[in-house]
Amino acid sequence: MMTFDSAAARALARCHSCGRVELVEAGHCSRCHAPLHLRKPGSLQRTMALTFGAAILYFPANILPVLRVDSTLNGARENTIISGVVQFWQEGDYPVAIIIFVASIMIPVLKFLAITMLCLGVRFGCWPRALTQLYRVTDYIGRWSMVDVFVVAILVGVVQLGSVMTINAGEGAFAFAGTVVLTMLAAHSFDPRLLWDAAAKNRRHSPARRQKGI
Amino acid sequence: MPIIALEKGRTRRFAGPALIRIAMEIAKLPLLLSCPDCDALFSAPVVRENERVICPRCQANLFSRRPNFVHRATALVLAAAFFFILANVFPFLTLQADYRQSNMHLVGCVSGLDKQGFHLLAAMVGVFTLAAPTLLITALLYVLVPLLRRRRLPWALPFCRAIQEARRWSMVEVFLLGVLVSLLKLGTVATLTLGTSFWALVGLMVCLVAALTVIDYAELWEQLEAAQA
Repeated sequence: MMTFDSAAARALARCHSCGRVELVEAGHCSRCHAPLHLRKPGSLQRTMALTFGAAILYFPANILPVLRVDSTLNGARENTIISGVVQFWQEGDYPVAIIIFVASIMIPVLKFLAITMLCLGVRFGCWPRALTQLYRVTDYIGRWSMVDVFVVAILVGVVQLGSVMTINAGEGAFAFAGTVVLTMLAAHSFDPRLLWDAAAKNRRHSPARRQKGI
Repeated sequence: MPIIALEKGRTRRFAGPALIRIAMEIAKLPLLLSCPDCDALFSAPVVRENERVICPRCQANLFSRRPNFVHRATALVLAAAFFFILANVFPFLTLQADYRQSNMHLVGCVSGLDKQGFHLLAAMVGVFTLAAPTLLITALLYVLVPLLRRRRLPWALPFCRAIQEARRWSMVEVFLLGVLVSLLKLGTVATLTLGTSFWALVGLMVCLVAALTVIDYAELWEQLEAAQA
């Protein structure tokens, strides 16, 4: 396997905003004046704190209603995220049920698991390549959870117009939007380079290498 | 796009930071390149047009030089700006119920939530669907249009940084999926038709995504640096 030098080992930092490689001791990027850091500062702590906050908000997001529908035909009804999915499924709208299920239940849960795995990966220094891929997917996919919040916003806006029924947003929608924003921030504050640092440290201390006397 | 190979950064020959700094100051060029995702160090390669550089260790995209990207991106962003104005002017859903017809505009999503007392939620939706795309388009135009004449305006550097930030929080494509879902949700109760604004949003999404894939940030920063202030 090819080995690579890390820029940090040479006291070289990559500018967070413009990508120029400079000596850390310079303090600020000479091109865009952003402060230089070898790694995102406090990355692991921030990621874990934000994920924890998101996990706490995820409970009210699922327990409190997202939508309150009051129609002349069906009477008053409160929908949580899960009951919304179940209702779509029973009415036969399978594609919509699947979209909402994937966006508002599967992605947030998988994202919690993914971020936990990333943090564990930094702790144990294993599978850096696979976990870097996981990081990229996690960072990209988070935004799609917002679908449910947008649906609530659109329904609230549309139904103000007619008189057939009234739709009110519920507190759950706010909690859910909070969860999504916090997990997005958590994924963004994670620094995948920590995975490679930990893996390199692991390799240096591995028994096979120690025997060879490297 | 052909992918070109990378050489490992040859810093081992240097004694320490002092010599690296001297070398960088003499060359006036970024001699070294590090991967944003795994921090592997490389000597900066010569990248020709239509070539792509990926990190051999973690497969991150490092460069992708496309010919004439400033012109192409400017055209696409101008189209996106036009679509965004259309999207805000025209209604995106028309509701027909009880023999009455009413139109809903993009701002309606925010004001509806705001009227029900969900101010913070309204603000979030407003940021994701209105503020972030606006900032993204303005920042792109502010940076790209002067670059056509190899110039840069006084605040070009902070605006260029804002592009990356605004890109993360602009969720036009997610909003479009939301429109489709709510269309199906209300389809049984009332007659809904998609308005001009919906199609403008589709156009906006396509143009923005195309513009952002054409732009290579490393190249953009280099051009900005070389441009006349």
